[in-house]
Amino acid sequence: MLSNTANSTDKLLEATQLHRRLSPDAQIESISLSLQRGDVLGLLGLNGAGKSTTLKMLSGTLVPDSGEVKISGYSMRDEPLAARQRIGYLPDTPPLYTEMRVRAYLQLCAKLRRVNKAQIPEKVETVLSQCDLHSVERQRIGQLSKGFRQRVGLAQALVHEPDVLLLDEPSNGLDPNQMQGMRRIIKEAGSKRAVIFSTHLLNEAQAVCNRIAVVHQGRLIHEADVTGDNQQLEELFTNLIREQPQAANA
Amino acid sequence: MIGAIAGSESRSLLRSAQTWLIAGVLALVFAYLFLQALETYLDIQPSLAAQDHPTGLSGFLAVRYLAPLVMVFALVSPLLAMKSFSDEHRQQTLALWQSSPVSTTAMVLGKFFGISLVILLMVLLACVMPLFMRLFTNLDIGVLSSSTLGLALASLAFAAIGMFFSSMTKHAIIAVAASVLLLVLLWLLGSAGNGSSLMNALALFSIPTHLASFFQGYIGTADVAYFLVLIFLFIALTIVRLDSLRHVG
Repeated sequence: MLSNTANSTDKLLEATQLHRRLSPDAQIESISLSLQRGDVLGLLGLNGAGKSTTLKMLSGTLVPDSGEVKISGYSMRDEPLAARQRIGYLPDTPPLYTEMRVRAYLQLCAKLRRVNKAQIPEKVETVLSQCDLHSVERQRIGQLSKGFRQRVGLAQALVHEPDVLLLDEPSNGLDPNQMQGMRRIIKEAGSKRAVIFSTHLLNEAQAVCNRIAVVHQGRLIHEADVTGDNQQLEELFTNLIREQPQAANA
Repeated sequence: MIGAIAGSESRSLLRSAQTWLIAGVLALVFAYLFLQALETYLDIQPSLAAQDHPTGLSGFLAVRYLAPLVMVFALVSPLLAMKSFSDEHRQQTLALWQSSPVSTTAMVLGKFFGISLVILLMVLLACVMPLFMRLFTNLDIGVLSSSTLGLALASLAFAAIGMFFSSMTKHAIIAVAASVLLLVLLWLLGSAGNGSSLMNALALFSIPTHLASFFQGYIGTADVAYFLVLIFLFIALTIVRLDSLRHVG
């Protein structure tokens, strides 16, 4: 069923001119992104800038009004199942079945992602170690702390070893210690695939990413590699923060 | 894939205390109704025997025990289906499905088969009791089978309706209320009978019209088709509803 039309380049994610109207006065406009293997892109923006909506469109959970998303060469519109098989997505609320136990939940997720039945135990094992979940694998998800839940959410996105990893504010609500752990996992995961993660914290993006894209009012207003000197980016972001309250009052 | 989803759905139903509570209450209800029907039969048997074509025990149980159970399942089926999608809405887990390589059709069919399995187990529980009478007398398996088929088809149609309303709201109890309301409507359709042609036409779409013959030992194609159409219709509506979520966000 999955035709072999994908090109073999390492361009894992390609979004062209994504457009989506959200309400009469809010929309996502012409967002284009391109990521290769090993890219970790930080989608930086204030709350309400359109980060979550952009990630929803990239993950296939929201259909854009126009524009196209390609995952490893498969179009999200024309070959949705093949494209979705190659993404891992952690929404801003982790999609967890609170009554399930961690291991059983990850097994279910692997099944839904069409992981070969014989490989499921091994893949679940790998992701349990990767996300440090062995200590809680027999507990019900509902009993876990916020930090653990977030990690189970991340494990769910990684279990089928996707090409593209999409994380919506993965370190939201974590304490500094847990944040460190999350960054380590993202960096590890990023070496083998393409990662996009959204955040409203500049220093977090700088700590993890090799590229940063700034979203503001539904537009991509800046995109650059992270180098030692990020003064321009910092100024830009500080200006945005200053602008924001005025915009809200206007 | 559909099988895997169905398995996981029925396992999750069988894990929940609520399912077993329903099963327990049902067993009591079945036993009570069954014994009551049996007692009535024993009371009136002498007068039945005097008729030209006396109703046998099987026919009597079909009409007085199995037929009323349809109303019980009009509540039980939506209760078992209510969480199928409401819980996904409430726990915000639909994103898991939407971002997985699973089509909406596979997901809805899988869930429906999962719920169906549990419902059919309960229907089976209801039919075991008449079969016990086989120890004491000859049974007309034909009429009992057609009644069971009618009961099963109706229960599955009610489950499809329950599943559809479950996909509309995150509040499971609202899904049940809406389903029961619709079922009452379908039940009473055209029954305000003054014999007008409109009422007769409406009655063609009502549930009792299509149930009656099953309990008289007669399986009509039109009646089977009626329930199959209800099942397919509400499965299709559920798929449309869930697909639309990708567009509204």
